[in-house]
Amino acid sequence: MPNIDQPADPLTSAEHLLRLAEMLRLDLTEEDLAALAEQLRTIDALEEAELEDFPPILRMDADWHE
Amino acid sequence: MSDFGALINLSISEAAAALRRGETTSVALTQATLARIKETEPTVHAYAIVSTERALESAERADRELAAGRDRGLLQGIPVGVKDNCYTKGILTEVGSKAMEGFVPDFDATVVANLYAAGAVLIGKTRCHEWSCGGSEPPTRSAWDRDRFPGGSSIGSGVALSARSAFGAIGTDTGGSIRIPATLNNLVGMKATYGRVSAYGVLPLAWSLDHVGPLTRKVRDNAIMLGAIAGHDPNDANSARVDVPDFLTSIDGGVQGMRIGIDCAYFLYPGVVDSVRAVTEAVVDQLAALGAKIIEVKLPELELTRETLMTIRMVESASYHRHRIREQGHLYSPGTRATLQMGEVILATQYVAALRARERFRAAMKNLFRRENLQALISPTIPVSAPLLEDVWQPRDDMENGETPTDGFVHHVYPANLSGQPAISAPGGFSPEGLPIGYQLMGRPFDEATLYRIAYAYERTQNWHERQPSQVYDAYPGIAASGSSAGTLRHSAASNPGAPRSAPFARGWDR
Repeated sequence: MPNIDQPADPLTSAEHLLRLAEMLRLDLTEEDLAALAEQLRTIDALEEAELEDFPPILRMDADWHE
Repeated sequence: MSDFGALINLSISEAAAALRRGETTSVALTQATLARIKETEPTVHAYAIVSTERALESAERADRELAAGRDRGLLQGIPVGVKDNCYTKGILTEVGSKAMEGFVPDFDATVVANLYAAGAVLIGKTRCHEWSCGGSEPPTRSAWDRDRFPGGSSIGSGVALSARSAFGAIGTDTGGSIRIPATLNNLVGMKATYGRVSAYGVLPLAWSLDHVGPLTRKVRDNAIMLGAIAGHDPNDANSARVDVPDFLTSIDGGVQGMRIGIDCAYFLYPGVVDSVRAVTEAVVDQLAALGAKIIEVKLPELELTRETLMTIRMVESASYHRHRIREQGHLYSPGTRATLQMGEVILATQYVAALRARERFRAAMKNLFRRENLQALISPTIPVSAPLLEDVWQPRDDMENGETPTDGFVHHVYPANLSGQPAISAPGGFSPEGLPIGYQLMGRPFDEATLYRIAYAYERTQNWHERQPSQVYDAYPGIAASGSSAGTLRHSAASNPGAPRSAPFARGWDR
């Protein structure tokens, strides 16, 4: 049983991503995934620090005029 | 007016006026375009397929209607190309992919249906990179310099226009794929507001980032095309219920009193080469001289647009392609397949975080426009002029961080895909090597009219858009009505359904 009091960090290392890619039988290399890992670390850091007030809204707001 | 050379150089506005004055016919425009295609295609490879018979039938119909007084608007009788990721009923649609080889849709994408309704003549399908994110083989060649990169993924649309083998063309833009070929081919390219142009029947790259829009040689022509293809479409859940104005009504209103922002720290970052910086500054100076107020602004949120957009793009692409790749993975080139599979290893929570980051960015952009009362932001379209093909994926000598030209391509164009706001690229000047350099304007949602107004005000002060690519003209100085080899040119689905295709380009293009 995983220890749910201490969840693992999201998958943000190329090694973790590669393991997942292998489970999914994807033809991806650690080199392919290195940049992705960095990208996801940035997104995770942003989520933790600055996204509290921003739910995922999928609409176009035309009201940009002052 | 029967000289083919004169006809193919007309703008859409000029051709439309000539048609109405009885100085030419749609059939003559179409024949001239077909002759030009026959001449240039062996060199440039801009078209996936040319619909000769259908085009001529459409042209005859346009001439009959105009003679009978049925005027459908300024696109009537004008030959245009459509990117090969748009469904065209009865015409091959292969999106540069072996997996789609031989596919003939049984309906038209809404953008195609709208072109037909406007009376446009669909001259053919323009080539695009594999699934709009891979490569193409043989490569589509720049008409400006065949050894240089002509953009992507709406590569055929850009090259067809600069080679004068179409009067206008449709492209799609998930991360700059209208604006990048526009700047590299000395064209005007509009990525309108998200939802302004229906994406129904367009093979997706990433649903929430995909935009459909026009490429033309002049600003007015672009406004004419957008007016014809824009509008609410009940078949597209993301289509906006917003009225479409006549974009020509205010186009010559000038820029007096307009407020145009520039974030110098981000838009003129060290990757911007001197010639592009000089062009951007010259455009800014000219707009200021015309009466616009240039406001220096700061938007730190621009720095994270790349990571945010790519996370969304990867997941949505993987979602669309994963079943097909499991069944037909061998029909994808390895680089494209990897690009399209990458999103499968991104967690759902990370995708949602990227969607939330998009909202944060959109809110910051909106606040900037409101706070500064801006009509537009201005920037280069890309930081460099067309790189040599061999350098496209190589680290730049002048950048210590290993940035390649393609890394830099996304710097200025991604923000508008992420925010959904409209953005236009238009000719701004030339490099010392004689290569086109464009500039970009980003505007308020559903306010494409203001971007056209600014771009048109600038266009009227210079003649960059009149310059023609010398290589194609040097190679093909005359417009021969017959006798040129069609080379690898493919014709309509009925006449050549199973032409062999070359192996895809190994390295992926990710736009």
